[in-house]
Amino acid sequence: MMTSLPAIVQGTRVRVPAVLLLALAFACSAGAARAEDAGSSAGANSPVEEFSQQLEAFQKSVPDLNKTIQDSAGTIDSATDVEKARAEINRLRETVSALLGAVSDNGPVSQLGAKALDHIRNKLKALAQDNRFKPEERQFLIDQWRKLETQTEGATKELDDARAQFAGLLHTLQDNEDFIGELLEIRQAEKALEVIRQLTHDIRDASAQLNKLIGGIKPPGA
Amino acid sequence: MLTLTKQHRLGLAVSVLIVGAAILVWRPAVDVGYVEIKTVPAAPVTQTALYIDAAKLAPIKKGSAILRQPIGTLKLQADGAAGALAPLCEIVVKRNRITTVTISVLDRPPRCQCRNSGNDAHACVS
Repeated sequence: MMTSLPAIVQGTRVRVPAVLLLALAFACSAGAARAEDAGSSAGANSPVEEFSQQLEAFQKSVPDLNKTIQDSAGTIDSATDVEKARAEINRLRETVSALLGAVSDNGPVSQLGAKALDHIRNKLKALAQDNRFKPEERQFLIDQWRKLETQTEGATKELDDARAQFAGLLHTLQDNEDFIGELLEIRQAEKALEVIRQLTHDIRDASAQLNKLIGGIKPPGA
Repeated sequence: MLTLTKQHRLGLAVSVLIVGAAILVWRPAVDVGYVEIKTVPAAPVTQTALYIDAAKLAPIKKGSAILRQPIGTLKLQADGAAGALAPLCEIVVKRNRITTVTISVLDRPPRCQCRNSGNDAHACVS
């Protein structure tokens, strides 16, 4: 059958948009399928990655927790050690003793003060008999030395006070040794309590992490 | 509120430095303790000469002195008749502890009163 040229052209005009539409529909469906594939693969990876991250975090935290438990046990052991309290009193007594040693009557600081005062008093005696100066010059020098004498006596008095305080402290430490020992033990027990509280907190954290990890495990079809 | 002038602060710093340096320099090579001697009645300067073992003590001022001593049992003595030393009591010195003895200087010979007595009533302990 012979077809006229205009009819062919008209037929082609009709077919071209149809082919284009078909190709577009195919392309769209292929794109959608790819997107669906990609989407489904992303959905499958996400819980695995999440689980993996949680597992990793938990595994990392376990050695830390073990170390914390060991450290805490050590701290509690030392906190309940009575000898440690005694040693602490001895250290305190040693510190006070060193201070008292410096300011004791036969200690170096007291002797320095006594020497300084002796020197000033000898100088005042010597000046009273010294004829090298005019009366007003001598009076000026005597006034200066007297001022120094007053200030040095003041400093020596402060030293006396410090000596009395350190001696009092040492008396208190030795007179109330048992009571102070008990106070130190109470302080240590408070430290132990603090350690136990911290440990409980850490274990609770680890437990929460573990629960999260277990909750994240969803078998297919569950 | 307490305010310190520059001069006060300087004085305080110098005092701290002196005491600190003295502690460092004078760190005891041997174990030491302390003897606190109180004299009654308290006088500006006690006239009675006192000895620890054979060492004569400096006159005690204002009725009290604190002396650093090596640990052990020391003999407290006073001037006795015919130039001899009269033993008053024994003082037990313990490491980093203070032993207090009060001496009644009006008695002849002077008499010791221990703040704490050990098993031996004649010895003062810390």
